[in-house]
Amino acid sequence: MRLLEIIIIAALVLRVGWRIYRRRQPTGSQAPAKPKRSLSPWQRKWFTIWVFFSVNIRRLFRDRLALFFTFLFPLIFLFVFGGLSGKGGGTTFNVAIINKSQAPYAKQFIAQLDKQKVFKIDKSVTSFAVANDKMGRGELDATIEFPQDFGVVRPGQANPSGQAIVHYTQNSQSAATTLTSVLQAEVQGINTKLVHTTTPFTVTSKQTNERSLSSFDYTFTGLLGFAILGAGIFGPINVFPELKKMGILRRLHTTPLRVWQYFLSVMLGNAVSGLMSLAVMFVVAIALFHLKVVGNYLELAVFLAFSIIVILGIGLAIGGWARNERQAAPLANIVVFPMMFLSGTFFPRFLMPHWLQNITTFMPLSPVIDGARLIATEGKHLTDIGPQLGIMAAWLVLVYAIAFRVFRWE
Amino acid sequence: MAETILEVKNLRKAYDDVVAVDGISFEVKKGEIFGILGPNGAGKTTTLEMIETLREIDNGTATIDGINVAKHPYEIRGMIGVQPQTPGFQDKTKLTELIQMFAAAYGERVDPKQFLDEVNLGEKADSFVENLSGGQKQRFSIVTALVHSPKVFFLDEPTTGLDPQARRNLWNLIKEVRDRGISVILTTHYMDEAEVLCDRVAIMDQGKIIALDTPKKLIRNLLDRGFKKEQHVEQANLEDVFIDMTGKGLHV
Repeated sequence: MRLLEIIIIAALVLRVGWRIYRRRQPTGSQAPAKPKRSLSPWQRKWFTIWVFFSVNIRRLFRDRLALFFTFLFPLIFLFVFGGLSGKGGGTTFNVAIINKSQAPYAKQFIAQLDKQKVFKIDKSVTSFAVANDKMGRGELDATIEFPQDFGVVRPGQANPSGQAIVHYTQNSQSAATTLTSVLQAEVQGINTKLVHTTTPFTVTSKQTNERSLSSFDYTFTGLLGFAILGAGIFGPINVFPELKKMGILRRLHTTPLRVWQYFLSVMLGNAVSGLMSLAVMFVVAIALFHLKVVGNYLELAVFLAFSIIVILGIGLAIGGWARNERQAAPLANIVVFPMMFLSGTFFPRFLMPHWLQNITTFMPLSPVIDGARLIATEGKHLTDIGPQLGIMAAWLVLVYAIAFRVFRWE
Repeated sequence: MAETILEVKNLRKAYDDVVAVDGISFEVKKGEIFGILGPNGAGKTTTLEMIETLREIDNGTATIDGINVAKHPYEIRGMIGVQPQTPGFQDKTKLTELIQMFAAAYGERVDPKQFLDEVNLGEKADSFVENLSGGQKQRFSIVTALVHSPKVFFLDEPTTGLDPQARRNLWNLIKEVRDRGISVILTTHYMDEAEVLCDRVAIMDQGKIIALDTPKKLIRNLLDRGFKKEQHVEQANLEDVFIDMTGKGLHV
């Protein structure tokens, strides 16, 4: 694999270098020196595709709106969702603390809690009225009350004592249960220090060395899927009706250009611009959100290019069929929304009930997102993700068969 | 007599109940400008689109240089150039790139500059189409349809919406195309255009050809039947004044 990559990169570098070298040469001598190469009919067909592809890629970089949707738009989602899920992966509780005790011991105890990552203490809350209000709105999970006598050394006793109370609402029962046990453990620790006893049974936790997926791994591959969906479907359904309205496709229809040639040039263009856009997402995710890509980049690129082409087929079918935007938009929404919510773009599919997972496995975007995660974050190879590739290949055939059949030049 | 390049026999097209083109026949010779005249809805555009392979032919045949249009559409498309009524080009694309694309659509590799120079657009090579004037756009559109040196060139109402100078300009351009040996077939509803430009015209009404001859012959026939124009004919009209004062040349 490594050798193959080196050869490909070397070939690309040589090709680009040669072109730059050729451009430097004086144009006067170049024009007559280059006789028109005659092409075979088959070469001509590919030459057509190549020219359409290269002109359209150049055009993309002049179109600010298209650049925004290709490169910045997915990044905005990455920042929003990455920011939401990137907080170390632990669970935190938003709590308020109401301390009625004057005892120094209570203050010490609260300071101790503040150091715990599990608690996020809202210090602005000092009264029950405000706390209840915030709990009602779901901004707080619970309120911990330390009564007046908490931490006071009672007469006749050597050590301080007291009882903390966890207040919670109907909707935060599970949070309260967890909180209570966390507090209990905390108190237990103190108790054993104060009163020396031996505890017969204890539980301790130990981290295994197995690398597990963080929630960001799921978020990121979901967002990759979202970007592919956006570029592959919303691109063509916006562009094609416009091309038809302006008679651009109609004009092309008067030439011997074939639909498959046109489709191939669009496929190539989308695969290249899509890969560039996804590459930017990877760079940002690795640099800012500590994404660890363990898989092979070449395999990843091949897989993602294939994904883009599969999803693009849906956009080509809808955009190619629709006479105008009003036909394209509703159909696109019907197709896109189920994929957006059921294929694991914004929340992973393993959170769904089993029967729903079984169905959504076969949606076109699900194998894309699963496959990208398997390769990128689990280090699987293309040969390991046969089921995903199989589902995608089936969709590829189906979607392009429809796209060719329903395509209209005007 | 020059050889026939396009032959149309009993061509017919109906949309639901409406007969758009009702069994028309005509021939176009090599290197002539053939005009199809008629009011809106006469079936001019439909006729053109059938010959251009864009619409299915219900009945009858059309052959270009001996090749059947309905049977070999891709071969035909490689032999014809088409200028639609409202030419549209993708934005943010240089004129040179568009020429390359159209040439590529025909499987050809060309030098775009040379084509642009032909229609005085050499200076605009790196501009985008959206920055061209109406007349420039029309000239550009014509040159994109000629990149593959077609045998027949179709223009659908080429001068609609152009100012007088741009119109005259375009007429000269169309004549130049004809002089290269390319047969030109155009539709128009401007009689002056047909009279100046066309070697022969077919007049269509309600899907039928009601007259077909050279403009001169058609006028003579009318005069021979004793027709007399009642009004006094001016030696010049306001359009001539306008052109005389602003110059016939290019206003780029």
